[in-house]
Parts: sequence; C-alpha cells; structure tokens
Amino acid sequence: MNGRTPGRRVEVVLIYQSLLGLYGDRGNATVLIKRLAWRGYDPVLTVVEPGNPLPDTGHVYLLGGGEDAAQITAVRALRADGGLYRAVERGAAVLAVCAGYQIVGNTFTVGYQDEVISGLGLLDVTTTRGPVRAVGEIISRWNGRDGDDQWLTGFENHGGYTRLGPRAEPLATVEIGIGNCNDGTEGAVSGTVIGTYPHGPVLARNPALADHLLELALGHELEPLAHHEIKKLRRQRLARVRRSYARRR
Amino acid sequence: MSISTARLTAATFAGRVAGAASRLARQGTGASIRGKVMLKVDPGALGKLLAGKRIAVVSGTNGKTTTTHFLAAAVRASLGSHADRLVHNADGANLHHGLASALSGHPEADIAILESDERVVGDVIRLGRPEVLVLLNFSRDQLDRHHEIKSLGRSWRTALAGAGPSGPVVVANADEPLVVWAALAAKQVIWVDTSTTWTQDSSLCPECDSTLIRIQPDAASGLVGDWYCSGCSLARPKGDYRVESGTIVDRSQQVWDPQLSVPGVFNVSNAACALAAAELLGVDPRTALRGMRTVTSPAGRFATAQFGTTTARLLLAKNPAGWAEALPLAQTQTVILAIDSAAADGRDVSWLWDVDYERLAGRKVIATGRRAQDLAVRLRYAEVDYRCIPDLAAALADHSEPVDVIATYTPFQRLRRMGRV
Repeated sequence: MNGRTPGRRVEVVLIYQSLLGLYGDRGNATVLIKRLAWRGYDPVLTVVEPGNPLPDTGHVYLLGGGEDAAQITAVRALRADGGLYRAVERGAAVLAVCAGYQIVGNTFTVGYQDEVISGLGLLDVTTTRGPVRAVGEIISRWNGRDGDDQWLTGFENHGGYTRLGPRAEPLATVEIGIGNCNDGTEGAVSGTVIGTYPHGPVLARNPALADHLLELALGHELEPLAHHEIKKLRRQRLARVRRSYARRR
Repeated sequence: MSISTARLTAATFAGRVAGAASRLARQGTGASIRGKVMLKVDPGALGKLLAGKRIAVVSGTNGKTTTTHFLAAAVRASLGSHADRLVHNADGANLHHGLASALSGHPEADIAILESDERVVGDVIRLGRPEVLVLLNFSRDQLDRHHEIKSLGRSWRTALAGAGPSGPVVVANADEPLVVWAALAAKQVIWVDTSTTWTQDSSLCPECDSTLIRIQPDAASGLVGDWYCSGCSLARPKGDYRVESGTIVDRSQQVWDPQLSVPGVFNVSNAACALAAAELLGVDPRTALRGMRTVTSPAGRFATAQFGTTTARLLLAKNPAGWAEALPLAQTQTVILAIDSAAADGRDVSWLWDVDYERLAGRKVIATGRRAQDLAVRLRYAEVDYRCIPDLAAALADHSEPVDVIATYTPFQRLRRMGRV
C-alpha cells in the first residue's frame, strides 16, 4: 500500500495525560487526530499511563505540562520504559510542551532547593529555575517559515528557564513573551523532536505546526485544510496580544 | 469606646460610604469596594468582626457558594423568628474584603456562615477560630494565578495543624485525596463519601508523590469508588455520611431523600456536606433539609431569567471539573456557552480542551463572550454545529424556546445583571 493512500493507519500517542495534561494538552492530540481524519487517514489515538508500555507503532508522540512531582514521576517512568528513545530512532515525531519540553532535555530542576533531575536527553537543552515565572500570552516567529504560518501564538506558564546547547536549534524567535529564558529564543528542535513552551494548546492555535509534525512523521507533504474559524482566532489573538502589549509599554 | 473599636467603627463607616458610591455609579453591589476600604482604614477589621461569633466556613474549588447557601438556610430554618442572628456572605464575595463587608453589614449577628476562597481559609482559621470547616474539593482553576493546587492543600493542612485543639471540626469530601490529606491535620474530621467522579486533578499522592490507585464508581453495578496510595498508607477514609443513588445516608444510617430545588448530583453531594455541618452546629437533619429545599438560585446559579423575549437558565462553570457537572444539566436544543478570560475567569483558556464539548453534538450551540472564537475552534474540532456571536446580548436575543446558558465567571455576573437575578 502506498504511504499516501487515504485510509492509512496513523497512530498518535498521548503520553501520561494524568501527569502531563495540566494545560489542555489533550487538545494537541484532538487536533492531530481530526486533521488526519479530515484528510481521509485512519487515525488512532493511544493514551498511555505510567505502568503501561509506550507503543512502538506510534507516528507522533505528545508530552504536555505538569507540576513538579508529576514531572519527576513521568521522567522516571519514561526512562524505565525506553519506548520514546526507540520511537525517535525510528523517526517518529515528538512534540513536548512546557514540563514535557523540560523532561526531554538534559536536566531540569524542581522545588525551591533546585534539585537537579536528569531528563531524557532527546533535546540538547538544560532547564533551571528562572528569576520570575513566565505567565502570559506569547507570540513568536517560527524560524525558517514565512507567510501567515510563521507566527506562533500561545499561552506560556513556566518557572523554569531553558538554555539551548549546540546540538539543538531554537524553534522560533520571541516577539512578545519570555520563551526559553528571555534570550529571544523559543523552543528547540533536533531532528524530529520539537520542544516548546506555549500551550493554548499550541497545535489548536497553530495548525501549520500540527501539519508540520504530521509531515515529519509521515515523510511527505499534506494538502492544506482551510478553516475560517482557526484563521480568525489567529488574527484575533495576534492583534489583541500585540495591542495590549503596545499599551503596556 | 476603645481605640481598636473606634478604628473599626471608622472603617465600617468609610466602607459604607464607598459601597454606596459604587452602587450609585452602577459598579455592582458595592460589597467588594466596601470591604476594601474597610481593610484599608483598619487592617485588623476582619479579625475583630469575626471575634465572638459561632462560625462555620465552606471552601473548595467548586460548589462553595451553593453549599454555603444550603448551610445558611439549614441554620436559618432552626432559628425560626431569630433568623437575623445569622450573617452569610450570600453574594459569593469570599476574599478578605468580601468577608469583612458581609460581617460589617450585620454587626448584631452572632452566627456567621461564610464561604471562603481557598487562599483565605488559613487566615479565617487563625483569625476567627471557626467551629466547623467544610472542605469540598480541589481542581485546576485559574492556573495563570494558582500554579500548584497542592500548595493550597498544604496551606489548609498547615493552618489546621497550627490551630490544634482549638481548631475547627472539619467536614471533608472523602473522595478527594488532597482534601483528605489536608483534613487529616484537623482535631476531628467528619468524612462525606460524595461519589465524586472527577479524578483528573489528583493522580499523585499528596503525602509521598506515589501514584494513586483508583477504582471508578459505577452507578449501574452499584460499585463504590475507592482510592488508595501505591506507596504509603494514605487511602480513602470510610464515609460517616454518604451519597447513594441521589439520597443522603447520615451517621445513624438514616436515608434522606433531599428533594432539593437545585439540579445535579453534585448538589446532592454539596447538600450532604452541608447536612453534616448543620448537625455539628446542632441542627437536626429534618429541619436542615427543610431549609436547604428553599435554596433555588444561590447567587444566580440555576436562576431562570428573562432577556427580552428569551427565557434562559443560567449555569456557572469555571473550570473543567465545573464544566463536567454543568454540561449534562444543559438540556435545551440550543445551548449558549459564554467564555471570557478576564482575571476572575483565568487569562488562559487552554482548559477549553479539557472539557467534553463533544457531548453537545447534534445540538445547536451559540458561542459567545470575549473568547468566543477560542470556543469556536474547540467546537470545530469537536464537530459540533455552532454559531459565533461574541456579543452577549445579541447571543441571548430572540430565542422562541427556553435556552440553557453556561458561562464562566465574568459573563455569568454580567448575565445576572442583565437578567436581574
């Protein structure tokens, strides 16, 4: 069967929703599943909780936000499971948001004692506690993209600040908000692994990023989908956030 | 008159003036500004106003306004013609200034039934030495402000431990692990098995961070829900009261049909907690329930209002747990959903993706409020038919059939003013 044939089974794996689902992160899975279904694919959503193995058959793996204790439990379970490493080796796409982004990095810290926790090392990034919590709307410009798709819009809420090592590229450049560590960069990319702070959830507000993930996983381009309500939401968010930011300055 | 009392008198007077000015300027009831001015003039006002009263306090993420109304109505029923002995912050203003405002409005009252914001519980325990404290539930809400719900639970636990033997008797929801963990610090706890089914906000043990094991209740087979920690001894306590198929079973195993005037299984759970609290205050269950049945639309919740020719019932939902309760209640063919992201709603609307809007498929939905477009995208992905009418008045206009409206906090308050309920 040709890989492009409609009806092809595509599996989206939502990892540890009970631990890493704080900010509507389930929505990223909903968006991917629907965008596949609307194009005639046969999408399958697999929700995995700690104690159950990650499937080795997934095309896209999703990690979301969570509190400190949940983050530690999740990273331990993922390392013990090993499935995410195998998935990345296979070329599956990974989207790691907020706490999930910190988890796939080298290390992150938790609590006021700044206990250092080992991450999965899938992205060459390191997270430590920042001077002020980053809470608010964020707009960034997706590096290497142009047109309307280049603007990434979301809501960030994180106490950790993330610095990129030489083996990771920033996903985007911050226009409004904090991003990685107030250094003008947002998110990180390495191969098929993408880490980012904004939720919202991020794929609902940025359908081009959703399709990019699917294209990474499937290895070919997808035909565009036009949804007027998503376009309108993006226009509204970008305009309102820019306006309120201009007023504050 | 002592200096302390004089300052409170001056604060109360200044507060009244500010409140009246606010009402004249049509900025709401004036309760909030009245309390703010009072606390400015006398920062010790809340402690002084609480002193010498018998106090019961209700807190939790969802249901505190309704539960406080239940408890106040139960106690009022027992007071008969002396109902003015009771003061209650009925409008739901539950921060320091809201409490001060309500208390100063009825200085002669010697019984206070107060709903308290989750963050204020510790101060009320320290300042007011309440007799009874009802702890309902914890769930994610306004995450842009409260980053960790566990820290709220910890503040309750610390305040209860600090109060020691002079602390309140706690009425606590046995189905909520974080509530249980906090309540265990109290000198005495009455557990209520509420049959809560919302579990998405407690997956780790508050004591040791191990994974919690859960058994979901199943009404059909009669299976009772349960939870316990996989790593330590924390487990669901056995309920002194319990909710069972819409009835309340009390401590002496007597079964009560609550026959409430407000809808929803969750309100039976709220009533069970209020009933337990009322008994602690010396009100017998029959009298308590008689009072509770008079509660019809606490602070506008479940009220039916007229908007021009449209008849609408108003439901409040502030977070995913609240939406999980409110959505099944919305039964009309057209349902209006009002979303905003003002400070009181939480500025982050990502929670829209944790709500099961898919269950509205087949009905007509009108998305309204300042964040209607975010809801429109959510409904698109839920494959629910909708129209997006951001203006509230326009969304409510000209419905020939009654409509149910579910709103977040800010549009809910606006709808109450528009519909005068």
